[in-house]
Amino acid sequence: MATYDGLFETLGLETWCGGGATDGPMTMAELLARANNTPAAEGADPSVPLLQTPFPSLDALNRSCAAIPRSRDMTEAVENGFLSVKDGLKTILDPITQPLSWMLDLSLEIFQDIPWFIMIPILVAATWFAARRIGVTLFVLVSFLFMAFIDYYDDAIRTLSIIFVCTIVSVVLGIPIGIAMSRSNALQRTVIPILDILQTLPTFVYLIPLIYLFSVTESKIYGIAIILYAIVPVIRLTDLGIRLVDRDVIEAADAFGMSQRQKLWGVQIPLALPNIMAGVNQTIMMSLAMVVIASLISAPGLGVKVLAGIRNLELGVGFVAGFCIVLLAVLLDRSTKAALSRIDASVRS
Amino acid sequence: MKPLLTTAALVAGTALGGAAFAQQDCGEVTITEMNWASAAVVTSVADFLMTQGYGCDVRVVPSSNVPALVSVAETGEPDIVTELWTNGTPIYEEMNAEGSITTLTDVLSDGGVDGWWIPKYLADAHPELTTIEGLMANPELAGGRFHQCPEGWGCKNINNGIFRATGFADAGFEIFQHGSGETMATSIASAYENEEPWLGYYWAPTSILGQYEMVQVDLGPYNAEAHACNADPDCDDVGMSSFPPAPVKTVVTPEFVETHPEVTDMLSKLAFTNEQMNGLLAWQEENNASADETAVYFLSNNSDVWSQWVDDAARENLSALIQ
Repeated sequence: MATYDGLFETLGLETWCGGGATDGPMTMAELLARANNTPAAEGADPSVPLLQTPFPSLDALNRSCAAIPRSRDMTEAVENGFLSVKDGLKTILDPITQPLSWMLDLSLEIFQDIPWFIMIPILVAATWFAARRIGVTLFVLVSFLFMAFIDYYDDAIRTLSIIFVCTIVSVVLGIPIGIAMSRSNALQRTVIPILDILQTLPTFVYLIPLIYLFSVTESKIYGIAIILYAIVPVIRLTDLGIRLVDRDVIEAADAFGMSQRQKLWGVQIPLALPNIMAGVNQTIMMSLAMVVIASLISAPGLGVKVLAGIRNLELGVGFVAGFCIVLLAVLLDRSTKAALSRIDASVRS
Repeated sequence: MKPLLTTAALVAGTALGGAAFAQQDCGEVTITEMNWASAAVVTSVADFLMTQGYGCDVRVVPSSNVPALVSVAETGEPDIVTELWTNGTPIYEEMNAEGSITTLTDVLSDGGVDGWWIPKYLADAHPELTTIEGLMANPELAGGRFHQCPEGWGCKNINNGIFRATGFADAGFEIFQHGSGETMATSIASAYENEEPWLGYYWAPTSILGQYEMVQVDLGPYNAEAHACNADPDCDDVGMSSFPPAPVKTVVTPEFVETHPEVTDMLSKLAFTNEQMNGLLAWQEENNASADETAVYFLSNNSDVWSQWVDDAARENLSALIQ
């Protein structure tokens, strides 16, 4: 019989088990055994070689004891568990996240409605005021003119609009979380594992359940996907930046009798600003990295072109759209880096 | 002398176990496994028959329509591409014409069913929604939204042609374009969970349509000319036409036909009707089974079907399973 029969006999749990093995579908191994007329898999041979002892897993234990669920019963229970709490989750999460949909839709409309001959100068001027570098500003101008010239401007602007909203939301939520983490070791210990999960959990694992909660047609679905992934660096680096502020400076601030609030706004945040800005830069890069995955859940923009290129094997479309994403990445990175170095310089002086 | 040798080989083979008694030197064979439910079952059944019946050493390659064909075109591998949906893959016509692939059979003999679908509860409550005229007259009953194929799928253009021909979008429907097949499937499941209206494109046999009962919307008779025009985004002469049955093929390389005549013969008979396949997928869903287990279910219960596919020698090898 099955390997772990003895275990349940010794423990006296046979009545609880109620016999061995839930009837499951025939496995390939059993069919092979039948095809070859070897009755081994029927379980008549009790002497399983020691080296082939199965791990006491759910499936292996179920073969001896029907009361233990099989692996597939366990996954089904997880699914049913989700479906049973889904309605409750929906009533809470749907209204909270609704503003995200409005922001994404509004920003998309505004970015698309501004004609190119106004939009491109606005972007160039914004770069100039942030970076104050001729090289970066020229690069932004040339990149957008190039993308407009090859007819990828509309998609690039849609992508930019999504990144714009997601970055703002990430920063607005992420910096306070980072500050709170820097002040409480307990909070830091709880939040860091969550951040690790957000960065590594395959996106589709939580995106598909989200469709049960919200309508798939809502823009917030891809907004949430991007924000959950991109918010991580700004939280981490805000926390790190504030914790790295010199002890002596804090002592001096205490000596001047500064209140907690004054210390935070007057000392810690200004000194941590280079780190926080590095976090913002990384957040922008991360949201750009999610463009293609977000397109799988109906986000507009360059990602759609990449997917279409892959699906129809129009390698050219894929390459060019991919290159435009890289171009956006480089120009966003360079302009935020240039802005960052200005802040760096002003902190040092 | 010869019969004696064969018997000896069989006896020896039985003693050694299944794969050893190859009736010929089959060698290594590569076969695709497309990334959807029915294809996994087809591949698993073919794998079993080739391994156990013909003594092949089968390697399964996960793939999907276009990548599989490109790989065959560029490298001559994998040997067998099965459950190939040729509708969305223009490269198939080219390769078929230049002879770089050999088409064996329609592995889903009735062809795939493309179309517009609504959930059964919606059709029961509002039977008028099963025609396109009825839909356009009552957009609010159907949820006011059409679930459109993702960018890069052939059906996107065809649906667009139908929209242009009927003024569907002006009738009060929002056309929502999905990003991937996964979100389309989930939107059906989610609509079913909440008993909400749903209208959109989908296809069968799939485990989604096996699990959730859907009713096809009547798009009128099939009109080859209008359909061809609908599929072309630059064609203005769009018209009403339903989807023709989608050909679903098994394709092999020409070298494979030469080197493996017996296996080729078996593969050209290996085919499922939609009724069989839908039944298998429904069984798989009910039992939470894997594709392998579904294949085993088919093999152990339908030996009358598959024993007609294999040749005498393979039937001998598999005799224990044939009832």
